[in-house]
Amino acid sequence: MSDQKGSHTHAFGNDTGDGGHHGHGHYIIPDATIYKTLVALLVLTGITVGLSYVHLGTFNFVIGIVVATAKALLVASIFMNLSHDDKSNSVIFASAFIFLAIFLSLTAPDFLFRGDVFTEGKQIMLPVKGISQFKRPWEPTPEIVAHGKAIFMQQCVACHGAEGKGDGPAAAALNPHPRNFTSAEGWGNGRKPSQIFKTLKEGRPGTGMASFATIPAEDRWTIVAYVETLGPTIEKDSTDDLKAAGVDPTKDTLGDTEAPSIPISTAMKMISKETDKDGHTGNVEPGHESLEGYGERVEARTFNPNP
Amino acid sequence: MSNAHAAPAAGTYNQDNPQPHHHGHHFESNEHEFSAAKQGMWLFMVTEVLMIGALFVGYLLFRLRFPEAFHEAHKELNVKLGALNTVVLIISSATMVLGVSAVQRGNNRRAVKLLIATVLCGAIFCTVKYFEYSHKFHEGIFPGGNYRFEGLTTPHVPLFFSFYFLMTGVHAFHVIVGMSLITWLIIKIKKGQISKDYFTPVELVGFYWHFVDLVWIYLFPLLYLLG
Repeated sequence: MSDQKGSHTHAFGNDTGDGGHHGHGHYIIPDATIYKTLVALLVLTGITVGLSYVHLGTFNFVIGIVVATAKALLVASIFMNLSHDDKSNSVIFASAFIFLAIFLSLTAPDFLFRGDVFTEGKQIMLPVKGISQFKRPWEPTPEIVAHGKAIFMQQCVACHGAEGKGDGPAAAALNPHPRNFTSAEGWGNGRKPSQIFKTLKEGRPGTGMASFATIPAEDRWTIVAYVETLGPTIEKDSTDDLKAAGVDPTKDTLGDTEAPSIPISTAMKMISKETDKDGHTGNVEPGHESLEGYGERVEARTFNPNP
Repeated sequence: MSNAHAAPAAGTYNQDNPQPHHHGHHFESNEHEFSAAKQGMWLFMVTEVLMIGALFVGYLLFRLRFPEAFHEAHKELNVKLGALNTVVLIISSATMVLGVSAVQRGNNRRAVKLLIATVLCGAIFCTVKYFEYSHKFHEGIFPGGNYRFEGLTTPHVPLFFSFYFLMTGVHAFHVIVGMSLITWLIIKIKKGQISKDYFTPVELVGFYWHFVDLVWIYLFPLLYLLG
């Protein structure tokens, strides 16, 4: 390790430049400094990993970023030698992070407070009414159950959990807790398919269970079929039960018993986009945007999302 | 060097007897030439920060938007392997900068050993990453719409893994590029094309390697620890 001696020397010692006007030369990082920095970086890594096992909520995130930044500054100032480099290089490198901060701080409020753009998109993409995928969707087949499971895994799993035990990630925040589909106990509307269908259509007032009438009736029957498979027993409907749920068991399809609907708030936005050449907005006059019955649903065919 | 004895015939230069360097005629000195090249490297790294930064911003926003999904998803990552790779990359950064210092002192033999150690660290990193990726693929954790892992079906979880594969993939690509460049440096030193008067490629590739380390310093806590 003879290198370590005289480590504060400078390179370019044999520079062929005429005259000595570049006397400061190039700073060579002493090996001892490198070893100390290495130890500091490893200790900081240990701190980050250790803290991840202690649950401090938001502080985990803040401390993690602060420690990472400390490590980044060590690497930049010592390994990348910015501390002994021309200041202009530090300014250049810092400018990248300044622009990154502008990028994040302008994008974040727009993205996070724009409203529920995601759910709205789903509602507008409702299947066109009258096209059925399954014959007699109220009579479960493996295909119908699989279809219902796919929707369940998107729409229901957050509260009811992947196994339907009512233990999804959002369940902890709900009182009463979401229904445990694997148990026959405590079902407010009952466990028959027509009764589960009613719950899906109307929701359960006073609980976290919202109405899922935005999902077309045929798809709702497939969800019902899947939920039945989660329970201890599979219940059956009588012909009268089916008729009460709006199904004509003599036919193969659901027919025109029920129009798919979307929330009025979404409908208003869609109508207001149908602006005519003169700049007048569709059916809504200025000042009348807040209709009575806001929060209720209107029939989707009142306006055509796919004209 | 060249002023001590007559320059050897072309082709006889090696790591113990590097060829003299003559700076470009538009530069005042070797040092002037080096400073210009270095500033160019810093500008290039700004573009790198902005490219990777866009991914970080996207990741942070969706993490804030879907905190439960990202929390559930990050538990699938192996913290021990992530920490191992962090240590490996930090050590490789140290061997790299030790190598740069060795070149600057004219100790090319020591520099070659340190650069080989750096490439080996990069290879360890890639191997660990390979095992992490193949384990994920085996479970059915693929980016985007190909996700089919039955054990974790919370909505938006696939989004986390899309970010995971894209960010670590872009980073791993940089590691491979860095390893290739360091291998190129080793060949240059062996051929006697690097000396304590001309070490621009060594120091600039070193910056690139430290930058790759820097990105991982943020990726590791963001993806593996702070779900």
